[in-house]
Amino acid sequence: MKKSCGLILTTVLLTAAIARAQPPPPPPPPDEGGGGDAAGGGGSGSGQPAQIGSGSAGDAPLTGGDPSQPADPYATTPGVDTPKKRVGPRGPINLPEVLTTPTGWLLPAAVIYSRTSIDTGGGVTSDSRVGLGDVAEFGLATTDAVRERDNLQDKQVDRIQPYVTASFRVGVAEDRLFDQQPGVTLGYRKSFERNHDGYKTRIAELTLVASKHLGPNAAIHVGGALWDASVEGSIDGDPDARREIALHEGPWSNKLKAFGGIEVRPLPRSQILVDFGWSPEFCYRCSDDRDKIRLRPTLSWGVRYAVADFMNIESGVRVPDIASANLLDAQIFGQVTFTSWALRRAVDSLK
Amino acid sequence: MVRPLVSLLTALTMTRVAAADPIEMAAGPERNKDHTVTKIMRGPFMTSRLFSMPTADVIGAYMLSLSGDGSLLQQTGLLTSAGVLAIGFGDLAQLEYRHSAAISITGVNAPLPGVGVQVKIPIPEYANVPVFGVAFRLGVPRTETFGGTDVIEQVTDLYIVGRWRFTRFDWLTLHGGTRISSAAISLGGDRDVDKVKKTLYLPTAGYDIRMNPSARIVGEVALAPQFHWMPGTEEQPSIGYGLLGRLGVRWAIVPSVIIDGSIGYQLEVANAAPPSGADAVLQWDIRLGAEVFVPWGALACRAAGMFCD
Repeated sequence: MKKSCGLILTTVLLTAAIARAQPPPPPPPPDEGGGGDAAGGGGSGSGQPAQIGSGSAGDAPLTGGDPSQPADPYATTPGVDTPKKRVGPRGPINLPEVLTTPTGWLLPAAVIYSRTSIDTGGGVTSDSRVGLGDVAEFGLATTDAVRERDNLQDKQVDRIQPYVTASFRVGVAEDRLFDQQPGVTLGYRKSFERNHDGYKTRIAELTLVASKHLGPNAAIHVGGALWDASVEGSIDGDPDARREIALHEGPWSNKLKAFGGIEVRPLPRSQILVDFGWSPEFCYRCSDDRDKIRLRPTLSWGVRYAVADFMNIESGVRVPDIASANLLDAQIFGQVTFTSWALRRAVDSLK
Repeated sequence: MVRPLVSLLTALTMTRVAAADPIEMAAGPERNKDHTVTKIMRGPFMTSRLFSMPTADVIGAYMLSLSGDGSLLQQTGLLTSAGVLAIGFGDLAQLEYRHSAAISITGVNAPLPGVGVQVKIPIPEYANVPVFGVAFRLGVPRTETFGGTDVIEQVTDLYIVGRWRFTRFDWLTLHGGTRISSAAISLGGDRDVDKVKKTLYLPTAGYDIRMNPSARIVGEVALAPQFHWMPGTEEQPSIGYGLLGRLGVRWAIVPSVIIDGSIGYQLEVANAAPPSGADAVLQWDIRLGAEVFVPWGALACRAAGMFCD
């Protein structure tokens, strides 16, 4: 435990040390005052500032978006020009998650996204995705957001991890259909069955989320989620009597939840992120069936720093159950995300 | 009486422009000895299906298509899969071995194997006028064993499908049709129950929306045969209806390879109210698959000078 705490502390300190250096805002390019490219959410604007390693405007990512759509405020515009060579599409993208909740932006086609996260609670998670045709993405992830407890009086709420999930999202990029249209995605996430302490649990989530840039330095995400979960085991206290109960058997108010997030970019490479979502919690020996599977509100806030156009580091605080107002339960997390256009370049070379 | 017919025919003649997709203007690349392999593999290629529903098109002559998809999460420990092997038989037909959608007694969308032929009705294609195709699939029995009891399921299908494109909305294609399905279930092993047969008329519909030159959003909804039998009971097996729906993407990562990804929904509508409604998203699944086109005729022409145009 000491070793893991030391590891976490070292990682957080290293992350903070890297993140503290803030380059001055780059001067606006002569032909545009906005940010850089909008790859994930949709398209790249012509006449935008060159990105690290990118070539001419002809190298702009073909993400399915309209080239005339507004620039991405979250592009990591470099402070200085770098030698340019023609290497095909690449660059920063609109990420598919705020901190813990999904956005309405999809990965561009054949772009690979990877996120690894650790927190002070000892949780380690990962998320890997690939963009499909600019209109969908598929991913596999582990999450530590699913929690368990024995009964309502149990102060010790443990996380079930690793909890492996697969996700598929399909949607339309921002400004794709009409001007001012938010990016919209319909997502589905489902876990593989998890057998833990004699209880078999599963979760699933259907989400519809819209994301919209508000000017060059802000964006908002609003969505709704239809949750489902099930637990099978001796949930009535009798070890010989196994039973399964599912969240969808309960009222709609227990499974239909709203979530959202805000992104603000006060500095060219840095964003402040806040999001609000929900996490399932299993209570194996709760007497009331309605308490056996509950969704708990989760609040997260933090910062994202663009180290390079292919790498972001994020750090922040996550409160797994803000309804209980238990800040002792809060976790400080650090995570790193990578995006790669390598597969896209390989695909384009095949064409 | 005749005037409207003449007007219609005139209109059709005036608008004789095939509202075809640019990547589907022809089925298969040219078979020319001078073409490089790279040029051959650029297509064009035409698919003959949405996700599980056949369309009114065929893959074309001297073409081979291999398809497969699998469910990641439908049931723990079970990776259901479906596959299609289609070979073009002239310009209007294809022979195929495929797995047709059906719901097994375990409640899982477990496709049943079949061999068949799919034919594109040879009528001229006009703008805004649907085209039609027919597919016949002869079911091959599939056996599942529960304890000592063998459950043999078989489905033979006749599809009549149409495809409708519009010049005004050239990004949209509608598909629809009927699946006339002859389903049978019998028990063997330690049970001997006569075969239960039922003919089902199953409407099927779908759409594809071209989002960009290489990707389409595809949705389909179809009724499918659903088998019922409770292992370990004296209950007679029965056949009912199940509703399957899919929404996802078909992405031509390169012209000869299409990647499929979709989320799916299954609702039991047989004989009684469904046990779980659409809100039971735990019952949904994610399917991934691919379709690979092999222009064997063009490749043979390039390599050995055979089958050239």
